[in-house]
Amino acid sequence: MLLLLWLTQDLLTVLTWGFVEVPEIFMLGLVYQLLTEDREVHPGAIWIAFAGGLLWDLRWVGIPGFFTLGYVIVVMLVLWLWHTLPSSGRTLSVVFLLFSASQLIPPLLPVLILGGEPGGLHFLFQQLWALPLVLLCVLSYARHRRKKNPNA
Amino acid sequence: MFDRRQTREWVHGLTALILSLFLLGVSSNLGIVKGAADIVGEILAVPEYPAVKLRAFLGRMFLWAREKSELQDRIETLQRENAALRVTRAVVLNEQLKAELNARMSDVQVTMRAPLSWWNEVRLDKGEDEGVTSGLPLFQDGFLVGRVTSVGKFSSWAELLTSPSLMIPVVIEETRDLGVVVGEGNGTVLLTYVPVARGDLSGMNLSTALIGEQLPPGLPIGKVGAQVGTEDDGYATYRVKTGADLSRLYTLSLLSRAKDGAR
Repeated sequence: MLLLLWLTQDLLTVLTWGFVEVPEIFMLGLVYQLLTEDREVHPGAIWIAFAGGLLWDLRWVGIPGFFTLGYVIVVMLVLWLWHTLPSSGRTLSVVFLLFSASQLIPPLLPVLILGGEPGGLHFLFQQLWALPLVLLCVLSYARHRRKKNPNA
Repeated sequence: MFDRRQTREWVHGLTALILSLFLLGVSSNLGIVKGAADIVGEILAVPEYPAVKLRAFLGRMFLWAREKSELQDRIETLQRENAALRVTRAVVLNEQLKAELNARMSDVQVTMRAPLSWWNEVRLDKGEDEGVTSGLPLFQDGFLVGRVTSVGKFSSWAELLTSPSLMIPVVIEETRDLGVVVGEGNGTVLLTYVPVARGDLSGMNLSTALIGEQLPPGLPIGKVGAQVGTEDDGYATYRVKTGADLSRLYTLSLLSRAKDGAR
């Protein structure tokens, strides 16, 4: 499933290269999986993020490390925050925050390191396109939680 | 603080982080990275093929649409330019015609109007030496007065519209009906041979017809006046309100022939 999402993101980037930056669909899928799975430990997720980021760097950046680092940071942030919070603290606002972080952090690193326009402007537009997808994921998560625990 | 499982997660996470930072730090100097990027690119070229083709197609469509839009804009610009040029050309032609007409028009003075033939003819102060020839039309304030009938060396004679012997084929401009303008010899000018079925024609404009051999077509004469009678053969007769004041003829304009011989 994650491979499919990675490919979707890649194909959309092929289509829109030079015009707009595609939202981090792969990371949305990975974070959604982390938030909805019952497993307590996800060391695999870290390496999936690492591999996804490395592939992305090799395909689109040419210098491995930018998205690899970003993806790993996002997964670690999600795991740390999600495990730290009690069940009552895992609200939809927190979920929104985590999904947003998955869109914000990976593309922010190249902008911060390489900097300047037009990267900055593309980054802003990417965040704008990503917002509907983030909201869709939050909605999907809410449905999933209600199905799993109807009394919540 | 952390249980064993979480510690394991953190170990994996930190390892991945360190590895990422290491890659970021040293990979730009590693030749192997270029090779790896090429391999990834070649492998992904297979699933990306439809997207590449679609992008190329969309690009072509975009270019086509833009070219079409540019062509449309160009056509509209050319149309505007064409309209402006047409107006300019019309103005230039108009000016040329005006200049040509002015060159062909010359003033002549009426030097004699005999009481016995008051409504028939006048003598003019220009003749053969000034280029006057028989048949030239005479005007007053742009309306036809008559035509030159005989030319002497220094003077000429012109027959007036009011003369019963000068019959001029005319056209009613609004209906394109033809008729003949003829004088009565007493100052009255009549329009004859107009079909009765045409209704009320009074107030319509009259000018010389193309069928007349003596005068060029389109010379303004005046307006159709009141109907004065109907012939048994189905033709009506109208008075003509001449544009020129035929009782006050002093200075007239003579239209000489064009250089190419046209009327």
